[in-house]
Amino acid sequence: MMPFQIRIERRLERKWWYSVLTPVLSVFAALLGAAIFLGIEGFDPIRVYREIFEASFTTRFGFTDSVTIAIPLILTGLAAAIVFRMNLFNIGAEGQLYFGAIFGSWAALALTDGMSWVLGTVIVMIAAAIGGALWAAPAALFKAYFGVSEIITTLMLTFIALFFMRYLIFGSGSYWRDPETTNFPQGKKIPDGARFPQWSDTRLHWGLVIVLLVTLIIWVLIKYTSIGFDMNVVGSSENSARYAGIPVKRTIIVALLISGALAGLAGGAEVAGRAYALDPNGLELGLGFTGIVVAALARYNPFGVVLVAIFIGGLRNAGIALQGLPGERIPVEVSLMLQGAILLFAIGGEVFSQNRLTITRTSSSTSGTEGAAA
Amino acid sequence: MSSDQPGPDETRSGPAAAIRAEAVTKLFPGVIANDHVDFHVDEGEVHTLLGENGAGKSTLAAMLCGLYRPDQGRILRAGKPVNLRSPREGLAHGIGMVHQHFRLVERFTVAENVVLGDPYQASLLKQREIEGRVGELGEQFGLPVEPRALISDLTVGQRQRVEIVKMLYRGADVLLLDEPTAVLTPPEVEALFETVRAMTAVDKAVVFISHKLGEVMEISDRVTVMRAGAVTGEVATADTSPRHLAELMVGRPVEVEIRRGSNAAPGREVGIAGLGLKLSEGDQVLIDDVDIEVHRGEILGIAGVAGNGQRPIARALAGVVPPDEGTVTVYGTDVTGKGPKAARRAGLSFVPEDRLGTGLVPNLSLTDNMLLTRPRGFFVDRRAARAEVTEAIDDYEIKTPGPDAEARLLSGGNSQKVLLARELDGLGEPGGPQALIVSSPTRGLDIGAAEFVRGLLHEAREKGAAVLIISEDLDEVRSLSDRVAVLYRGSIALEGPTDELDIEEIGLAMAGFDRSAS
Repeated sequence: MMPFQIRIERRLERKWWYSVLTPVLSVFAALLGAAIFLGIEGFDPIRVYREIFEASFTTRFGFTDSVTIAIPLILTGLAAAIVFRMNLFNIGAEGQLYFGAIFGSWAALALTDGMSWVLGTVIVMIAAAIGGALWAAPAALFKAYFGVSEIITTLMLTFIALFFMRYLIFGSGSYWRDPETTNFPQGKKIPDGARFPQWSDTRLHWGLVIVLLVTLIIWVLIKYTSIGFDMNVVGSSENSARYAGIPVKRTIIVALLISGALAGLAGGAEVAGRAYALDPNGLELGLGFTGIVVAALARYNPFGVVLVAIFIGGLRNAGIALQGLPGERIPVEVSLMLQGAILLFAIGGEVFSQNRLTITRTSSSTSGTEGAAA
Repeated sequence: MSSDQPGPDETRSGPAAAIRAEAVTKLFPGVIANDHVDFHVDEGEVHTLLGENGAGKSTLAAMLCGLYRPDQGRILRAGKPVNLRSPREGLAHGIGMVHQHFRLVERFTVAENVVLGDPYQASLLKQREIEGRVGELGEQFGLPVEPRALISDLTVGQRQRVEIVKMLYRGADVLLLDEPTAVLTPPEVEALFETVRAMTAVDKAVVFISHKLGEVMEISDRVTVMRAGAVTGEVATADTSPRHLAELMVGRPVEVEIRRGSNAAPGREVGIAGLGLKLSEGDQVLIDDVDIEVHRGEILGIAGVAGNGQRPIARALAGVVPPDEGTVTVYGTDVTGKGPKAARRAGLSFVPEDRLGTGLVPNLSLTDNMLLTRPRGFFVDRRAARAEVTEAIDDYEIKTPGPDAEARLLSGGNSQKVLLARELDGLGEPGGPQALIVSSPTRGLDIGAAEFVRGLLHEAREKGAAVLIISEDLDEVRSLSDRVAVLYRGSIALEGPTDELDIEEIGLAMAGFDRSAS
């Protein structure tokens, strides 16, 4: 017989600081776990972590690069956050991002020649949002009307989007492909009017302003509008929504379309801010999938998404920087491994923030010595 | 029965009780569910646990069968202390519980369910043998079940029999029946009582959990009454009366007298009307041609045994489901099939029977729950709703940390109060809703709150609202309504002014006896 009984009980009250503490502790736990692997591989974990920190956060160029990578991550993070919080799992932000890039680059090539960038980039972004939303639409409709799992459909649509995008550049003489490049096909460069200018000598671009604006809008939408209210109700209890006369199907569709549009914006921001063309190689970075990690760590809070995206952006940035480290050759996979470990610990940590663990001695006859209260 | 004199010295002399709880205490966060409760059942005895919802009956039963562990106190089986850590260990000691919500696998047969999870079952199932044994048990205890039938094909009453057979098959000598009659029709209740008597005849001990006084008087040898987690009395059934039990249950003399305001002349204007309503689900007829009219300034009460169409009728009238046939109007506005919002716009408030998950959203704050059925613009303005919640917390004495607390943290009675506060707000007043459908308005409420709600309902009626009450509690229906309608199998079996229908007549109609046909 076990002398102890471990019980997991749901917490009745959650202090606000749990939502901050959980991700922070998760990150530390992940760093600790990854340190073991680094040690086994013969690296000095402290040194690796210091390099990551310096490469991504403490130097000017390092930090601006991290934020630059964070721009699409914020958008895909918001895309995941807005629907995951209502238990709708759009895991196809990746594909919606590709379609955003396809639509955005088309708009850039076709419409913005000679325009001021202020107007041109807005057109690109709107087109990208439409592209992303369109790519989420089939999943949204099948979910709402036939109950088909959005997890399956959004994932499948991602693969279609991926190969379609490759086809446009590598497999056909499409409108997007640059006809000059025959040996190694590339996308046509978009005109200056469709490009976000960079800030002084850094790679950070004006897309950041749009992204922060979008974050604010999403926060207001969730918190202060009837659309957000309906989404909360449907996410919490579809049955209650039905009793209150809230249109459940329409709310599900709207939520998934917004999510798709956000992911599409990420594609647009990449085209207008970094790649300047429909560039399959440059876009296939898993930004959409990483958005899920960002959203989970941020506990689906829009402002949390911004902070976490910058952190994760830093990790990705460091992965590149680590390779250039003299002496040791630290594999780029280290940063990806860290990213995975952080998600794993964050999900595990969620259990502790929502539940409390009590360990009770069961051997003694006078039972009833409960563990510390929450 | 032995000398029905329960005394403290019984522990020392005489045969030990089949099962005994000694000063057991069970705490849940913020609530003392059981506070030093003493309880025992002898062999061959039916002992009833009586109490209102939330009195702690189910918690005590859960500790007796091993589902919960007491925080203090101990459980004795045949005089020996036992430490039950799971229902499986409970069963190993011969203690079996039949839960209110059945735990059966729908796609398995009766026999398969009976042996499912039985630790003593040989790993190779001897189908023939099991089926034989199931049949035998059924015969001995008056539980006719077909061992090869699929659970999904059985009625609720038949499923309950399977649960009981399951416990008997595994050798349970102490049977805990948690509100077994709540889901049964009157003939099924009689059959169940036959089974209970057959069980006590072979010296099995039965714990019968209920809050229905009539049944309690009929079936039990002794009654333990609980209120607010504590035992308020233990009496032999022969020495007590329903009135006395009711007093023990609610903790003060009960006015059995009907305090209906005499509204002799309700308005002629029809508030809520459902005409020719029909609704089926698959090949099951839920509503079978029902006509309901509630006038302005009138309370109509719908009585009936659970599952005779109450829920579908409420849902159809409130617009949650469109009826297959018939029309629904609210003060003349046709709202048939137009959804709950249309019904609300026409002036109808609705309190559904489950609170969390239908009327209230568990994960939203009380403020947001207050807003749930209010008209909202593009932006959500929480100020008015917040003030309303704060007021309701005061008026209804709702126990909650505040308007930002999530609804799921409320107890049943408190969530009921929040829902009532929302739906009764402005009822009958100019500009407010003029009609109300309410399921079990006082279920789960303490006496004070129940009085308060009754007062509000009467007040709304005085102001001219049309009120439809749907409840399985006949006393509640009779004490509140001007007119009573009885539902049986989806249609109205009897209808008339409350004063002109005697309780026997209503009871017969509830049981499906048709006067005119006989």
